[in-house]
Amino acid sequence: MAAIIETSGLTRSYGDICALKPLDLCVPEGEWLTVMGHSGSGKSTLLNLLGGLDRPSGGSIHVRGTDLATLSEDGLARFRRDCVGIIFQQHHLIPYLTALENVMMSQYFHSVPDEAEARHALERVGLGHRLKNRPGELSGGEQQRVCIARAIINSPRLLLGDEPTGNLDHKSTTMVMELLRELRDEERFSIVMVTHNQEVAAWGDRTIHMDDGCLVREERTKSC
Amino acid sequence: MLTALKVIPQLLCWAVLVPVMCRSLTGMSTAVAAAAGFVAGVAGENLLLAYVGGELPFRPLRGICGVIFLLLWGASVWALYRSGSTSPESGQPTPSPLASGAAALGTGVLAGALTLCRLAPLEGGAVRLVPYLTLACAGAAVALGAAYAARFLPQRLVPRGIPLVALVVSALMLMACSVQRLDLFSPLSMEVMKFVHDFVHQFFESMLIPDHPFFRADVWGYIGLLFGDKVGLWGGLALWYLPVLLIALSLRLERLPSVAHIRQGAARRKLLASFIHERRLRLAAPLLALVFLTGAAYQSRFPATEYWDPKPVEVSANPAGQIAIPKKGEIDLEDGKLHKFSYRQGSREARFFVMLTPAGQLVTTLDACAICQPEGYGQAGNAVICYYCRTLIPLETVGKPGGCNPVPVPCSVKGDAVVIDGMTLVNTWESTVQVTAHGKGMGK
Amino acid sequence: MLIRILKSSFLKRPKPVLLVLLSIVMGSAVATAFLGISGELSHKMALELRSYGANIVLEPAAGDAGALKSDDLPKIKTIFWKHNIVGFAPYLFGQVDFSSAAGRQRGVLAGTWFGRPLQVPGEPDSIQGVKVTAPWWELDGRWPETPDEAVIGAGLAKRLKLAPGSDIVATAAGKERRFRIVGVASTGGFEEEQLFAPLAEVQALLNKPGQLSRVLVSALTVPMDDFGRKDPSRMTREEYEKWYCTAYVTSVAKGVEEVMSGSRAKPIWQIASAEGALLKKLDSLMLLLTGIALFSAACAVSSSLMAAMAKRSPEIALMKTMGADRLQIAAIFLGETLVISVIGGLLGYLAGDRLAVVISRTVFDSTVTSPLWLFPTAIGAALVVALAGSAAPLKRALAIEPVRVLKG
Repeated sequence: MAAIIETSGLTRSYGDICALKPLDLCVPEGEWLTVMGHSGSGKSTLLNLLGGLDRPSGGSIHVRGTDLATLSEDGLARFRRDCVGIIFQQHHLIPYLTALENVMMSQYFHSVPDEAEARHALERVGLGHRLKNRPGELSGGEQQRVCIARAIINSPRLLLGDEPTGNLDHKSTTMVMELLRELRDEERFSIVMVTHNQEVAAWGDRTIHMDDGCLVREERTKSC
Repeated sequence: MLTALKVIPQLLCWAVLVPVMCRSLTGMSTAVAAAAGFVAGVAGENLLLAYVGGELPFRPLRGICGVIFLLLWGASVWALYRSGSTSPESGQPTPSPLASGAAALGTGVLAGALTLCRLAPLEGGAVRLVPYLTLACAGAAVALGAAYAARFLPQRLVPRGIPLVALVVSALMLMACSVQRLDLFSPLSMEVMKFVHDFVHQFFESMLIPDHPFFRADVWGYIGLLFGDKVGLWGGLALWYLPVLLIALSLRLERLPSVAHIRQGAARRKLLASFIHERRLRLAAPLLALVFLTGAAYQSRFPATEYWDPKPVEVSANPAGQIAIPKKGEIDLEDGKLHKFSYRQGSREARFFVMLTPAGQLVTTLDACAICQPEGYGQAGNAVICYYCRTLIPLETVGKPGGCNPVPVPCSVKGDAVVIDGMTLVNTWESTVQVTAHGKGMGK
Repeated sequence: MLIRILKSSFLKRPKPVLLVLLSIVMGSAVATAFLGISGELSHKMALELRSYGANIVLEPAAGDAGALKSDDLPKIKTIFWKHNIVGFAPYLFGQVDFSSAAGRQRGVLAGTWFGRPLQVPGEPDSIQGVKVTAPWWELDGRWPETPDEAVIGAGLAKRLKLAPGSDIVATAAGKERRFRIVGVASTGGFEEEQLFAPLAEVQALLNKPGQLSRVLVSALTVPMDDFGRKDPSRMTREEYEKWYCTAYVTSVAKGVEEVMSGSRAKPIWQIASAEGALLKKLDSLMLLLTGIALFSAACAVSSSLMAAMAKRSPEIALMKTMGADRLQIAAIFLGETLVISVIGGLLGYLAGDRLAVVISRTVFDSTVTSPLWLFPTAIGAALVVALAGSAAPLKRALAIEPVRVLKG
């Protein structure tokens, strides 16, 4: 299978602090990769670089064959809207828009909004009954599911998760993870997920452990 | 130099028009055809001006401009009618080289003729050789140069079909409206005004509007609006802009190609967005056309005033000291315009003009007034203007003394000639000019 | 979708939006009001200044020995600058003996027109006289209406113990004339020591029929500049023509002088030049104030948008994360400002219109009609304010880095 992510000698440093030491990583198409490590281990930096939210200090990073280092500001924006979906720990939904509008906004930046499609996406994550609710009126798990709907609405090839279950209780976590797996099996996108929860990590195909900006250990998880 | 400035707007229009036509028709050959057409138009119109004279050379041009504007109306209605039923691909066959060449040639001929008319001297006759040749060369050079620039024009912005027609017609309208004698917009607004007035009168006559004393006053207010002096302008503007607006609307209403065959939502939306973007870009041509039309209406509304100011014709007196100017000789004295003459008696010289007042009286006056320095008069519409103090003098009062009016000289009509006494003329001139020139020298 | 985003953003964050709206309304209202008034103001101000009296005085060229002819008076309204003549009042002065119930005294008797209808062929009828040229007189009583009524100056009235209703007798060269006092005038000037009677009566009493000793003319003039101060007799012909065609107080005076035979016209300089200079200053002051008002409104918009931007930066960062390019971000924020500014301009125009009416009523005690061009001006002012105010916040919004903002 072709690689969706290929990095070689990828580094990122903020001033004197080296957040990411030279890293060679290859993620094949369709893989679910979990990144584990303590806070400050460079896992979020890696995720930002993969999502085109940050620029590397050195090395190369190719996502679907595109060298992100060569893209302009607007080029990166186009890359993000076409190729990447991102889910955050704090959800980051726009508070004054309804769930439906939050999803449609993603469509708007991508191309044109399509209400039927957005509604369908929300129904797929099980929120068909909460379309008109604003984020404040939704529970944490529901908000995260809106985020998932928003992230996958433009059919990205790569889904990035920054501790997507960090704020959720056990039940919601399981629900979200099950949803992600279901969606992945359907759409065949790749997932890179940062977490420090062993249990969540177990949902992935492969786990890498990071510490102090270095890749320290790599293990394959048996899918359950 | 001033002559060159006069045609700059037209040449600019031309420079915009050619690259667009090149891109949307058949490239370089279109530019060559347009350049050839321009030269032919300039030459043909100048021949007409030289050998036919009078108003005749302008009439066909005005007719053609009127017809193409009407055609634009037809095209716009057709476009609107078709807009709902076709998608852009199916309705746009690429024009054959022959047809596009003919279109470019025709546009070129019209553009050339219109531009030349801008240079045509007000008193008739052909454009002199140097400006004439320069204009022809400039037009051809602009056309060929613009064809080179055309390759930098993005393909997506290039209009095809009816929007192209709108652009071409509106550019030609702008060229036409800067020549007062070819102006289409003022007659249009005049017609609208007349139509509205006649229409309301008809209503009154057929008693559809009851002439009742208890008829509510505010209703009379609305009826009064129809008789306002702005009705013609606004109505004219509406008719002027509407075809292009209709074309823009038809583009906006154009059905997007079907994207239903694409299953994945994101890809489908992406395609749709690109179609919408393209449709938006196609609106650029009608928008530019609107700008052209606005320019045309503006030029027609606020024309660059030029005064009718013929060169004085030298006349001489018979042995009895009488100057006789035939009414219908080389110069038609009774055409309502001022005609300047100069008369020399030894070393003394006087300048005067003869004109038919609206009251139907032939008057002879000096080309100077009693107050100002003798810089002479020009005619603008129904008034003459004193070049020194820029006072407008209504034609009705020409021939009457006083103020800044030209000083009248007694004359008599004998048979078909106007007869003036040469001695009186020279004496009047000298007494007037001496008085006014005296002050001139005083302070220096 | 853009419309939906804008709508929700307005409805859900009313406070900052209202703040921005308020500054824009203020800016455009002040601009509208000032510009609307300033045109009217020059006119009003000129009239106001006019109430300080005449600015041209006509006297006999030969000094006290000569006299002006009252038959020439109507000609004043036929001169080149006839439309600029607001009013004029003829005077004939003479030393007479006054006697009343309280005693006798020598004093000045002035014959004048109080408010006399003047008909000049080819000109609209007008009222001329003291009423027009000296509106600042405080009159206790009323103006005379019949030939045997008169107005007395306050000082003279006090000494002769006269009040409206009482009689006074003027004696000159053996002739006697009895007047009934109908008004007492307080002027704060030498007029308080005079008795004002109808011109024709005084001419008869002083045995000077058809003669005048002074005419005061009140004219609207353009400010004196260096050119206007030049000596007409030393101008070139062109300059003289231009000078004659400009309503300088000197050229108006010259025009009046030409029609009154044997007269010499002098501009009363203080008023004439003060008037012009003041009006000019007032105009530039108005423009300056408008500029300052617009600038401060733009600053207010900028700061409140900046504050709103700080609050919204997570939102912007999120949009960027979702793949919004700079154009799309700018479209959202400029779209918001555009909507606010159009609404603000509209409200500002209405408010400014009202403001202009109120100001002109309180300051000038008159109504003002705002010209139509103020409407586009108000909207334009609002747009300028909004765009100028949103430039800096927009720049900041575009510079937001999603990583830093979303991290926290």
